[in-house]
Amino acid sequence: MTGILVLQSMISGLMIGAIYGLLGVGFSLVWGAMKVINIAHAAFAVLGAYLAYTLLKMFGIDPVLGFFVMLPFLFFGGMILYRILIFPVSRARDTVVSSMVLTFGCAIVIENLIALIGSSDPRVFTTRYTGKAFFLGPFAFQLPQTVGALLAVGGMTVLYVFLKRTHTGKALRAAWQQPEAARLYGINLKRISMIAFGLAVASAGLGGIAMGFVYSFDPHTQNLWLIYIFLVVILGGVGNVMGTALAGLIIGLLNGLSLAFFPYQWVNVITFGVLILILLVRPSGLFKSEM
Amino acid sequence: MKRFLKMLLIVSIAGTFVLPWLSPPVYFVSLLFIVFMYVVLAESWVLIGGFAGYLSFGHGAFLGIGAYTTALLVNHFHLSPLWVLLSAIPAGAVAAGMAAVIGYPALRLRGPYFALITLCFAFVMELVVKNLDCLGGPEGLWLKAMGIRVGLARGIFFEVMFVLMIVTVLTVRHIEYSRFGVGLKAIKEDEEVAQTLCVHTPRAKLSAFVLSAFFPGVAGGFYAYYLSYIHPASVFSIDISILIVLMALFGGGGTYLGPLVGAISLSLINELLSAFLKAEYARIIYGLLFVVLILYLPDGVMSFFGREPSIGRERKIESPG
Repeated sequence: MTGILVLQSMISGLMIGAIYGLLGVGFSLVWGAMKVINIAHAAFAVLGAYLAYTLLKMFGIDPVLGFFVMLPFLFFGGMILYRILIFPVSRARDTVVSSMVLTFGCAIVIENLIALIGSSDPRVFTTRYTGKAFFLGPFAFQLPQTVGALLAVGGMTVLYVFLKRTHTGKALRAAWQQPEAARLYGINLKRISMIAFGLAVASAGLGGIAMGFVYSFDPHTQNLWLIYIFLVVILGGVGNVMGTALAGLIIGLLNGLSLAFFPYQWVNVITFGVLILILLVRPSGLFKSEM
Repeated sequence: MKRFLKMLLIVSIAGTFVLPWLSPPVYFVSLLFIVFMYVVLAESWVLIGGFAGYLSFGHGAFLGIGAYTTALLVNHFHLSPLWVLLSAIPAGAVAAGMAAVIGYPALRLRGPYFALITLCFAFVMELVVKNLDCLGGPEGLWLKAMGIRVGLARGIFFEVMFVLMIVTVLTVRHIEYSRFGVGLKAIKEDEEVAQTLCVHTPRAKLSAFVLSAFFPGVAGGFYAYYLSYIHPASVFSIDISILIVLMALFGGGGTYLGPLVGAISLSLINELLSAFLKAEYARIIYGLLFVVLILYLPDGVMSFFGREPSIGRERKIESPG
């Protein structure tokens, strides 16, 4: 019996981990490509979840479908945001520090705009399949959670294929590894960074929707999500898409397992404690930090 | 001009000293107490974050450690009012000791990795304190009242925090131009080169980190008594940690004047906004402030006055475009 319980918590841990992974990949894309630490990444995720929630409530559009409705807005919105806000910062003397202050401001603005226009009470997606589950052998799969995990895996696959297979994706990786050399080869860094930021915002929106299937969210949830994003990216190595995805799964697994054995309030303590230990042994993450 | 500025400084410091005894509104005294506390926090953060370039995102934890140490000392030993103030010093020592324990392994990490591990540390501290019953758990701890008039107590704490602030600012200013400070700045520029230039980098980083935890610990001790009731969310909140970093960077992190300007202006702006506007509007304006500041002054407020906040790390890549 306990064996099944352990496996069951591992499965739900892995599903949540996939979502952390997707959020981490978007964050790491921006960090790697333009050396910008985007504190507002989790705020974009919450924004995505809220938009999908609004579509669901007002027009009855399923959040999964809602994402594809929102996708162009998220992508081009992200590109415009890059042009107006992030691009000027990339010329600052210390991009990392300046971008953190700037995006922190953005996060506060987004968080409070949501709270102002929507409201601050927690929300959950209530769809046709909420509360339903299916069984594979002795294991139960909650439907909403499974949908969220599938969305996350899909998003990560798309990003991975984009980076590895398409021309633009390869240019992005080149700009990431050797900005100057990439420029000599005629890669337009500004355009590439714009696309990367648009993709990051879109993936954050998708990650937010996926999270919305699993957890309730309110405008202030972004703080906790942000810390998890940090953890995933650090553990996975900056800019390593596969590593980040794996790190997401590891953290999810850790969460799920500690949930099975310890009281709920100690779960975060254990997760963070283990991570600190891992980082002390392997100071630059578990995986190599090149792409 | 320089003499005039010096006179002005002395007069304003003296004025601040007598201020609480001229029976101003209590709110005003409390507001300034908080401002002084944030100056202490941001100023001591600069030692490790601004000079050495190791962005600690967990400095709020040292405030919390100081606060809880003082609360435990006071409740355990039933201290008399005078001793209460002195108990903040062991609180600072405990915070510094904790910094040594955390800093020894954590300072081997570089750049954003260090920033994030300190953030995790602050987060874990809050969770641990919340879950330990001997520290009051989520309900927190009450401190026994001092047994003197409230107005008098407020005045005393105002003076004490003001003194602590002056001591901190002077210490950081002294370090900025000392051999130690120059060593730290060399670490920020390039750690390997600093090492070849005979800067004992692990020791310098660790001393800077420990020292920068001591002052927040002492401030936490005063803060605990000032609040007279502490709970994890009030002294261990991640918001405090992030606010410290923002205050220092807002002013320009590389010099002792930056955090002074940043902490004073940000805490006053925050206070005024939330006094006059609905909470959400206040926060939105507060957030926009950061955005606009960085767009126009990417290197902090102090760069407006043409003061170079120490040489920043050279950019590794050209700006895109």
